Amino acid sequence: MKDWARLTTVEEMEAATNALLENGKKVGADSWQQRVKNQMPHCGFGESGTCCRICSMGPCRITKKSPRGICGCDVHGIVGRNFLRFVAGGSATHSDHGREICHTLYQTKPDGNYQVKDPEKLIRIATEWGVETEGKDIYDLAHEVAEMALLEYGKPFGNQRFLERAPEHTRKLWHDAGIEPRAIDREVSTAMHMTHMGNSSLPEALIRQSLRSGLSDGWGGSMAGTEFSDVLFGTPKPMDTTANLGVMDKDMVNVVVHGHDPSLSEMIVHYANDPDMIALAKSVGAKGINVCGVCCTANEVAMRHGIPMAGNFLSQENVVLTGACEAIVVDVQCIFPALGPLSKCFHTKFITTSPICRMPDSEFIQFSASNAGENAKSIVQMAVENFKNRDQALVHIPDMKSKARVGYSVEAIKKTLDTVANSQVDTFGTLKPLVECVHSGVLRGAVAMVGCNNPKVRPDYAHIELMKKLLENDIILVVSGCSAQAAAKAGLMDPELAKEYCGDGLKRVCELANIPPVLHMGSCVDISRMMILASDLAKDWGINISQIPLVGCAPEWMSEKAVSIGNYVVATGIDTFLGVDPYTKGSEEVTALLQGDHGIKEWVEANYTVELDIEKLGDRMIQRIEEKRAALGI
Amino acid sequence: MTLFDRVFGGNDVVYNRAVAAVDSAIATYGEAEAVSFPDTAYSLPCYYAVTGEKIGNLGQMKAALDVIKGMMTRENRLHDAFQSGIAAALCAEFLEALKYIHGATPYEAPCCGHLSDAFVRNLGVPLVTGDIPGVAVIIGAADTADEMVALVKSYQGQGMLVSITGDAIGQLQEKGYKTGENVRVVPLGYEMQSVIHVVSVAMRAALIFGNVTPGDFKTLAKYTMERVKAFVNAYKPLSDEIVAYGAGAICLGFPVVSNETENMFKVPKSLIQQLDPALFNATSLEARDIKLKITNIDIPVSFASAFEGEIIRRGDMQVEVDGSRLDCFELVATKDASEIEDHRIIVDGPELDEIPVGSKISLSYTVEVAGKAMQPDFESVMERKIHAFLNCIEGVMHTGQRDMIRVRISKADFEAGFRFKHIGEVLYAKIKSEFDAVVDKCQVKIVVGDEANHELRKHANEIFAKRDDRLRSMTDESVPVYYTCIMCQAFSPSHVCIVTPERLGLCGAVSWLDAKATNELDPAGPCQIVPKDRCIDENLGRYEDVDEAVNKYSHGALEHVTLYSLFQDPMTSCGCFECICGVEPVSMGVVITCREHAGMTPLGMTFSEMASMTGGGVQTPGFMGHGKQFISSKKFLKAEGGLGRIVWMPKELKDIVREKLDAAAAELYGVENFTDMVADESICTEDPEQLLNYLSEVGHPVLSMEPFDM
Repeated sequence: MKDWARLTTVEEMEAATNALLENGKKVGADSWQQRVKNQMPHCGFGESGTCCRICSMGPCRITKKSPRGICGCDVHGIVGRNFLRFVAGGSATHSDHGREICHTLYQTKPDGNYQVKDPEKLIRIATEWGVETEGKDIYDLAHEVAEMALLEYGKPFGNQRFLERAPEHTRKLWHDAGIEPRAIDREVSTAMHMTHMGNSSLPEALIRQSLRSGLSDGWGGSMAGTEFSDVLFGTPKPMDTTANLGVMDKDMVNVVVHGHDPSLSEMIVHYANDPDMIALAKSVGAKGINVCGVCCTANEVAMRHGIPMAGNFLSQENVVLTGACEAIVVDVQCIFPALGPLSKCFHTKFITTSPICRMPDSEFIQFSASNAGENAKSIVQMAVENFKNRDQALVHIPDMKSKARVGYSVEAIKKTLDTVANSQVDTFGTLKPLVECVHSGVLRGAVAMVGCNNPKVRPDYAHIELMKKLLENDIILVVSGCSAQAAAKAGLMDPELAKEYCGDGLKRVCELANIPPVLHMGSCVDISRMMILASDLAKDWGINISQIPLVGCAPEWMSEKAVSIGNYVVATGIDTFLGVDPYTKGSEEVTALLQGDHGIKEWVEANYTVELDIEKLGDRMIQRIEEKRAALGI
Repeated sequence: MTLFDRVFGGNDVVYNRAVAAVDSAIATYGEAEAVSFPDTAYSLPCYYAVTGEKIGNLGQMKAALDVIKGMMTRENRLHDAFQSGIAAALCAEFLEALKYIHGATPYEAPCCGHLSDAFVRNLGVPLVTGDIPGVAVIIGAADTADEMVALVKSYQGQGMLVSITGDAIGQLQEKGYKTGENVRVVPLGYEMQSVIHVVSVAMRAALIFGNVTPGDFKTLAKYTMERVKAFVNAYKPLSDEIVAYGAGAICLGFPVVSNETENMFKVPKSLIQQLDPALFNATSLEARDIKLKITNIDIPVSFASAFEGEIIRRGDMQVEVDGSRLDCFELVATKDASEIEDHRIIVDGPELDEIPVGSKISLSYTVEVAGKAMQPDFESVMERKIHAFLNCIEGVMHTGQRDMIRVRISKADFEAGFRFKHIGEVLYAKIKSEFDAVVDKCQVKIVVGDEANHELRKHANEIFAKRDDRLRSMTDESVPVYYTCIMCQAFSPSHVCIVTPERLGLCGAVSWLDAKATNELDPAGPCQIVPKDRCIDENLGRYEDVDEAVNKYSHGALEHVTLYSLFQDPMTSCGCFECICGVEPVSMGVVITCREHAGMTPLGMTFSEMASMTGGGVQTPGFMGHGKQFISSKKFLKAEGGLGRIVWMPKELKDIVREKLDAAAAELYGVENFTDMVADESICTEDPEQLLNYLSEVGHPVLSMEPFDM
C-alpha cells in the first residue's frame, strides 16, 4: 500500500505512466507522448504568433525580409490580433459552459431531473440583482433569475451585473480603461469583428479588447457557471476524498467522467449509487460501481460529493490504459479525440454526450435536462454490462493514491475562518482572519495557481514543485482545475501530510484552521471564485486588490480558456505569472503592453510575467509578493 | 516596524543583557561556578528541554550563548520569529538562573521565582481531570488594582492556575489579595524575564508527563500546544522584549491576549487584541479552546477548585465542625427511591446565624441517594469526594473523613449569607452532576447538635465498620476483574495504569472501587474492564489479559506489564505519582520518597531526580512510581519479597503509612514495629554504609532476603 507519510513524487507518477504505456504497447495504443515527438519541431511562426491566416491572401508570415503582411499589417498587429482571437476562443468556451448551466437552472422542477439544492444562495443572488424574493416559490425564482442570467449574454445595453461585486476602485479602473464588459456574447463578437481583415491592427486597442473579453468571461460567463452550479448542485464545503490513478478499483465497474459541465457527471454519480444498478454490477461479478473523474468534471463532483479524482488533463489516456475503465463519459472541453481510437484498443466505451463535443469512434448519447436521468441510467448500465468484456490480463492500476480535502468555495473559506475568529473581538463571516495572517507576516501572501498540463513543461512537475517552494515560504495556495489535481495527486491537499512541507507560519495556520495548505477552489470556471475572494479580501483589508500580496500563476497552461482567464485575472489587479509563452514573443510592442510597466500595468495595476524556467518563476513570484508587502510597510 | 522586527529587536535586547550578565558573573565567580535552579532534576529546564543539553556551570552557560545566537536567524519568516522568541526565553532563563548563583535566595514572598519539580508534578492530576482547566499567564499591570483583582478572581473562580509577572503583583498586594500555590495564584517576579518560570513549568510538563526527549523541540512544541492549556494576558504597554517572549509563547501554542494597539498586529487564535481587559477572561478561554465544567450552584459565595487549598485561620472562622472532640460525621447512604424527595435539603437543629461566633459544634451530613444503577460499593467513592466538594467553596475548609471531619466556615462567608443549608446545596449539586449515571434522586440531611448526633454517629460507625470488612476481604484474588485507568493520557499519551484492589492508581486518586464506579458511570471512558482469566505467573502478577490491555491502551507503546515486580516489566507511570521507589544496591532494599520531601535520599538523588528516571509511560526496571496506599499492600514488590524490602522513607511518609505498614509486616514477616526499622532522613541522608549499619542494628528483614535478581 501507499506510504501515507510522504508525498507522491512526479518521478513515481512518471514511472507509473511508463508502465501504462507498456500496457498500451501490447494492444498497439497510440499516446500523446508519441504524438509530441511526431510534432517536433513546432512551427516557429506559430509559436511566436507571427503567422496571419485571417484572410485568403496569405497566409502571411513575418520575417526580417518580409516585415509586413500583404494588407500591410505589421508584426505587432498580427500578434495582437492572434492574441485577441485566442482570448475570444477561451471566453466563448467558458461562457457557453455558463450558459448551459443557466439553461439547466431554467429547467429545474421540484420533481424533475434537476432541482435547486442551494436555495439560500439563489435568494442571495436574486437579492443582489434586485429581484423580489419575498413569498416567491423557489422554482419560480430560479426560472426568473436564470432568464436574467441568460440575458446577460445578449443584453443590448449596460454592463455585466456581477461587476458590482468588485471593489469600487477596481470598477473605476475598468471604467477609465474602457474595458467594462458589456453583453458576454458581444465581447466575443467584437473581438472577432475587430480582428477581421481590414479592422484593428493597433496593439493597444487589441489588448484592451482582450482584457474586456476576458472580463466578460471571469465576471460574466464563468461566474454565472460557478454561481448557478452551486445553486443547482450545492455550494461546495470541505470534504475528504482521494486522488491519483489508484482510485480506480480492479474489482469494481469503473466509470470515468471527463470534461467540465457538472450537469452530466452529477447524474452519473446519482445513478451509480442506484441500488438497482449496484445489484446489476454485483450480478456481473463486480463489487460495485466506482465513479471517478478526470479534468474539471472531476473537480466539480469531488468538491460536492467527494468523488475521487483519477487524474488531470494529461492523465486522460492513462485511465483507459489501465485496462480497467468500463466507460469514459465526456461532456465538453479538453477531451482528446485520441480517446476514440484508444478506447477501441481496450473494452472501454467512449461515450460523448454534448452536441458541442462530437468525436469519431465514440457512442453519442445526447444529454439534455429533460432526458438526463434516463440517459445517465442507460450509460451506467452500459458500463456495468461492459464489465464482462474486460480483459483481466490487461488490467494494470498503479498503486498510487493520496488523501485530499477539497471543497473550498469562498463561502466555505469564510466558514472555516469563522472557526479561528474570536466571538469576543471579531465579526463572523469575513476574510479578516486571513487578512490578519498576511498582515502580521505569519503568511507572506497567497498564490492562485491554476491551469492545465502542457507537454512543453514536464507534466505536473511545475505545479507541484512551485507549490512546495511556496509552501516552504509561508505562502498559501488557492488552486483550481488541473493544477488542483496535480496537488491532490501529490498529497498536497492531505491536511496531515502537507503541513509538514510548510514553513512554520503556514503550518500553524493549517493546524489552527484544520485545512490543507493548498485549498481546492474548484474547476477552471471556478477561478471566478478567486475573483470574489480577491475582491472580498481587498474590502475586508481596506486596500486595493493590486496591493494584496497575491499573485496568479499558470505554469503549465495550454488552452484558449487559460489565456482568457489570464486576462480577467490580470484585469482584476492580480499579477499573473506564466510558465508557457502565449504566442506573443514575435512582437516587442505586444510583449511590452502585457509584461511591461507602461501597458496594462497602467490601466489595471497588474501585468504578466512569462518565465519558462520554473525555478526562477517561483523566485519571481516570491519576490513580487515581498515587494507588495514592502510597499504596504508590513 | 513589522511584527517580526519587534520580535527580533526584543530578542536582541535580552540576548545582549544575558551576555553581559554571564560575563560579569564569570568575572566574579569564575567559569567553574555552578549554576542551577533549586529542586529540579532538569536544570536548566528550558534550555535542557529545547536543546537536550544540561547546563551546570558558568562556563557551559557562556558556551550555550553561542547556541542561542545560532537560533537567532533573521529571515522574514515566522520560523525565524518563533526561533527568536524561544531564544529570548532561554536568555531569560539564564538571567533568572544567575540570580540563584552562589546559593542566593533571590525571591521573597509573595514572589516565587523558580517553581520546583514537585509543583509541576502536583499539577498533573488536576490538569488531567480538568479541575485545573487552564493556566493563565498574566503580565504587566492593569489600569487599577481593582481591575487586576477582578481578573485574577475570575480565573480563580474557574479553577485556573494563575501566574503573575510584573506590577500586577503589587496591585494584588495593595488589595491584600491572597496569593500562593494553595490558592493557585502564583506571583513569579516583578521583572518581565521572570515569566520564564511558568514557561519552565510547561516545558517540564512535556518532559515529565509527555516523555518528550529533551532536544526534540518539534515534539515538545506539539505537546505544549496540544496538551498544556496555557495562555497569556499581557497588559499594555508591550516592550519589544515582551513581544519576543510572546513569540516564544505562541510558538509553544499559547495565545497572547493584549489591550495593546500601538505598533501591534493581530493573528487569529494567537495574538488577539482585546481593548477591554474585563473581557480578557472570555477572550482567552475561547482562544485556547478551554471548556469549563459548568458548576452553577445556588450559594452566596464562589465555588471553584481554585479554593480547594484555601486555609481558614482560627481568627477568621465563624464556626468549626470539630469531629475530634464532638460527634460529627459525613455519610453517603443508598435508599429506596420512594424514601427520597429529590433536592430536599433538611437542616435539623439551629442554623448558622443562631450559633455564637467562634463555636465548635457537633454537626453531621448524610447524603441519601437512590438510582436504578446505584450500588452500595459506590457510597464510599462518593463520600471520598465530599472533601473536594466542600473545599471548593470559597471560605470553607474541610479536612478528614467519616467521623473525624473538621469543617471551618469563615466569617466572610457568614457575612455573605452562607448557611448550613448551602452545604446541602453543594453536596446535592455535585453528587447529582458527577454521578448522574447512577444517582437519580438525592437529598441531604444536616443535623446540628450533640444529642441527636450522638446516636446517629453510632449508626454511621456500624456502616463504616461493615464497609471496612468488605474492603479487607477484597483482594486481587477475590475480585473477578481489574480495570485500566487512562485518565492521564491527556498528558501522558502512552501510560496505562492497571488498577487492582491491592494496587490503586499511582496518583493515589483511583482505587479499584473508583475505577469500577468510573466504568459504570462511563462505560466508554478511561476505566475499562481487564479480565484476569489467563494468568502466566501469579508471583509476578503477569497476565495475558493485562498485557493485551496495556498494549491496546498504550497504542502499542507497551507490550508487557507485571503487577507485582519492580524489575520485570514494572508498571509505568504518567509522572503524577505520589511516591517513587528505587533500588538501593548496597542493602538490596528499596528507597521510597514522596513528592512532599524535597531532601536527598541514600540513592544520592532527590524525589525530582528519581522521578525523572521514569514517568511518561516509560518502563525503567528498578524504578517505579506508585501511590502512598500501595506501600502497605501485601502485593507491594511481591515478586521481590514484598514490603520488607523497604529500607528508607522520609519521616513524614513513614508517619502516614505506619499503622497499616506495621500490620502488614507483622502478618508477612512476623516482625513488630517494622516502620521503625525503616531508616529516614534523621538516620541517614546520603551514605549507604550508614544505612546498612542501621539496618543491621535493628535487624531489618531485608538482610535475610536473597539478593535482587537484577
